[in-house]
Amino acid sequence: MAHRGSQATTLYLTALYMLVSCTAVPVNDLLDRASQRSDKLHSLSTSLTHELDSHFPPIGRMIMPRPSMCHTSSLQTPTDKEQALRVSESDLLSLARSLLQAWVDPLLLLSSSANSLPHPAHNSIYRKIQELQEYSKSLGDGLDILSGKMGPSSQYISLLPFRGSNDIGQDKTSRLVNFQFLLSCFRRDSHKIDSFLKVLRCRAAKMRPEMC
Amino acid sequence: VVVYLNLHSFLFFHVLSLCLGYSPPGKPKLTSCRSPEKETFTCWWEPGSDGGLPTTYALYYRKENSDAVYECPDYHTAGENSCFFNKNDTSIWVNYNITVVATNALGSNFSDPVDVDVVYIVQPHTPENVTVTVMEDKDGPFLRVSWEPPRKADTRSGWITLIYELRVKLEGEEEWEEHRAGQQKMFNIFSLRSGGMYLVQVRCKPDHGFWSEWSSTTYIKVPDYFPRETSVWILIAVFSAFIFFILTWILNLKSNSVKHCLLPPVPGPKIKGFDKQLLKNGRSEEVFSALVVPGFPPTTSSDCEDLLVEYLEVYTPEEQELILEEGKDLQEGCLKSKGSPSDSDSGRGSCDSHTLLMEKCGEGEGKEEKHQERAQKGKRQQKHQTGWEEGDVSHTREDVLSPDMSEGRVKTWPSVFSPLPQYSSRPLDHQGSLETARHGLQLPGFRSTEYVEVQRVNQEDMVILQPLFSSSCQRDGHLQIGQGEDYSKVKGVDSGNMLLLQREVEVKREEEDGDRYSCDIQDRVTESCYTTSTAASSQVTGKPTSCAGTAMPVQEEMVLAANGYVDAATMLL
Repeated sequence: MAHRGSQATTLYLTALYMLVSCTAVPVNDLLDRASQRSDKLHSLSTSLTHELDSHFPPIGRMIMPRPSMCHTSSLQTPTDKEQALRVSESDLLSLARSLLQAWVDPLLLLSSSANSLPHPAHNSIYRKIQELQEYSKSLGDGLDILSGKMGPSSQYISLLPFRGSNDIGQDKTSRLVNFQFLLSCFRRDSHKIDSFLKVLRCRAAKMRPEMC
Repeated sequence: VVVYLNLHSFLFFHVLSLCLGYSPPGKPKLTSCRSPEKETFTCWWEPGSDGGLPTTYALYYRKENSDAVYECPDYHTAGENSCFFNKNDTSIWVNYNITVVATNALGSNFSDPVDVDVVYIVQPHTPENVTVTVMEDKDGPFLRVSWEPPRKADTRSGWITLIYELRVKLEGEEEWEEHRAGQQKMFNIFSLRSGGMYLVQVRCKPDHGFWSEWSSTTYIKVPDYFPRETSVWILIAVFSAFIFFILTWILNLKSNSVKHCLLPPVPGPKIKGFDKQLLKNGRSEEVFSALVVPGFPPTTSSDCEDLLVEYLEVYTPEEQELILEEGKDLQEGCLKSKGSPSDSDSGRGSCDSHTLLMEKCGEGEGKEEKHQERAQKGKRQQKHQTGWEEGDVSHTREDVLSPDMSEGRVKTWPSVFSPLPQYSSRPLDHQGSLETARHGLQLPGFRSTEYVEVQRVNQEDMVILQPLFSSSCQRDGHLQIGQGEDYSKVKGVDSGNMLLLQREVEVKREEEDGDRYSCDIQDRVTESCYTTSTAASSQVTGKPTSCAGTAMPVQEEMVLAANGYVDAATMLL
């Protein structure tokens, strides 16, 4: 009985292993897909900020909080190329994942307040926020898989809690200003994620230099 | 005191300058900042008015995290009115707050501050080393364009990702043909014009940034080659051949009509007796002499007897119905102009309605009732008859109203003959006579197909009839054609609806007519049958003809009033 049982288990494991190895996507392919998603994510956020800017009260630009007020500014990221290229792959991945994780809640807030935004294009904005959430989710999943392949240090995620309140303001101007501020923070962070992943992609694509 | 003096001179200087028209500088304006490789960047500004005095410009910036103000490190590398930030001074993902100040002796002016994040202002240099070569493959030559990224951009490490675009046009054209090449550094262009001179340009853009300028134009000449698009030529050839064959076939099919269209046939002479061959071969006298036909023009008769209607068809009413049913076309046909005897189609052909009459013989009896109706109708019709022609022959057919028929066969009531003056010229009277004639007419049901020929109309406007048959048609002795017994003049129709004939008749036989009709009559006679009617008086007897073969009993009395054939011989009895 036990003999047969162990035989069955071995067989099962072998089959599973073969299945996994056959269907395993190579790392550079995964990175390629991930960087495509992050590229799209950043493009969306850029178009969102431009759309919002089209009907932005001039006074709003005055009272806009500084970018250092973003909730993710506490995360230490490279500030120039030399620094960035010195970061290890797993750290880069970890940074990317941390940033992505930090925006799950704020995106929810943005999504919930987009419909009632005092802006003529609030419908389109709402749709784009939804898309952002989708891409963000799928990217997060892909990065999780990647981190599984790249070693334990890539598993580390910095916690960047979003301390913003549950609504974005009371009056029209402050709502718009807060919305735009959040979007600008997201735009920068999505650019960081995209850059890190593309650096990673090039490092992994030693076999295919045309990628870079 | 010194301070007071300084202040005084200062004020004096200012006042003097103002009096002389000088002013502080105008407001400068930052036009753009650009980073070619995401490692350095440059900002340019536009000076305002200088107020007439020498003005200096300074650029100050602040980074987002600190309040420290720094001045531009390099005013010269990037040219006039610019500030260049080298690698050490450049930080990414950091907002720069930049301001330009213009200063002259009278004062200074600050520009509006501008916020800049280096990663958003990337615009690379143009791609380098653009090479275009002509390559060959089985379909013909094509262009291979290859290039390199701008020198400064570090794509190898993935720090900057560039996508490329190239454009091509023929020399002399206006429109460029643009192609996206993605991240690859090589591109093929096909479908070239043989012997053409092409212009090629390339540019690039970072993933999130601005397009670079187009590279300098590269010229390339495509060598002459024969377009080996043989498949196209083959297709064209096959198609043309197909069209050609179709046309030929159609032409062949319609060769006759085409010939007819292009070369209309010359109508040949259709003169009877005209011999074409003779015309071609012989002399004209011979040809024309052949045309002379004895008997034409008719010279024998002087009173136009021959030119008149050849004969009268006298029907019984039901025959007329049936004939009508057959189709009026027969009538029409019968009414063709008699024309000259030399005309072979004498128009009699349609008057082979005689045979038709024969066929309808049996049906005649059944139509008695109908006839009565029609008689009424006919009467009405007769009332409406118009346009009777005077003189000659009048068409008295019951149902035929067309005045055109006046010249053709006259199918007339025998009763017409008697009151001749009335009849011929006055339709009213004629109608009257017809009506009386028709009154109480009973269908004899017989279908006599013997014809009475109208010989002529004499001066008193009397239609003189004669039978059509000749002696040669006599079958048996019943036909008594003696002298002067062939035809009789109808004297009138009496109250008993009987045809009253005159005794004295003129014997006249139209040979031609007779000849012509003789055998017809014979035929008719064989098939005809005199049906008897009870209303006839004894004056008129039925004529026992060779119709004896029929089942119809021949009675002595014969009513021929309405549409019967008048057989002169018998009626003389």
